[in-house]
Amino acid sequence: MDSFSNHSSTPSSRQLSAHDLKNQLKSQLALEYAQQFLETVRGKCFEKCITKPGSSLSGSESSCISRCVDRYIEATGIISKALFSGQQ
Amino acid sequence: MDLSEINSPDMQKFYSEEQQRAMVNEMVAKLTSECWDKCITGTPGNKFSSSESNCLSNCAQRYVEMTMLIMKRFQSMQ
Repeated sequence: MDSFSNHSSTPSSRQLSAHDLKNQLKSQLALEYAQQFLETVRGKCFEKCITKPGSSLSGSESSCISRCVDRYIEATGIISKALFSGQQ
Repeated sequence: MDLSEINSPDMQKFYSEEQQRAMVNEMVAKLTSECWDKCITGTPGNKFSSSESNCLSNCAQRYVEMTMLIMKRFQSMQ
């Protein structure tokens, strides 16, 4: 596929192939994205669902949180579609 | 890997593709946050009402439109 694939046939524990580097960067970026997403969703759903913090999380609060997380993921999809699928 | 390969054309291409992807993700995340606040006023339900999902779509598209307008406005000031 690329000129670097030859290198993987001569493996050395200290050598990092371009392929490995790409994968490492990709997973680092994915982790970063996931952390940021979690942080945002946490803020949004705390605001929506935990309006009066009690001594424990109530059943209705927990179910609100599940719905909120699902809807936030759905909203991300809707926004991305609206921006890039060029409808209307 | 050879250190010079970190800046090889292949890696440069990879970096700019990933940068592009990250920018797109960032924009979607920002708009989702803004539009969520504007459009989802009640407690989240089991599904979005059609007015909520329309509002989200419209919100994203109007944001882009607004960006264009603001850029034009700035350009006209120069």
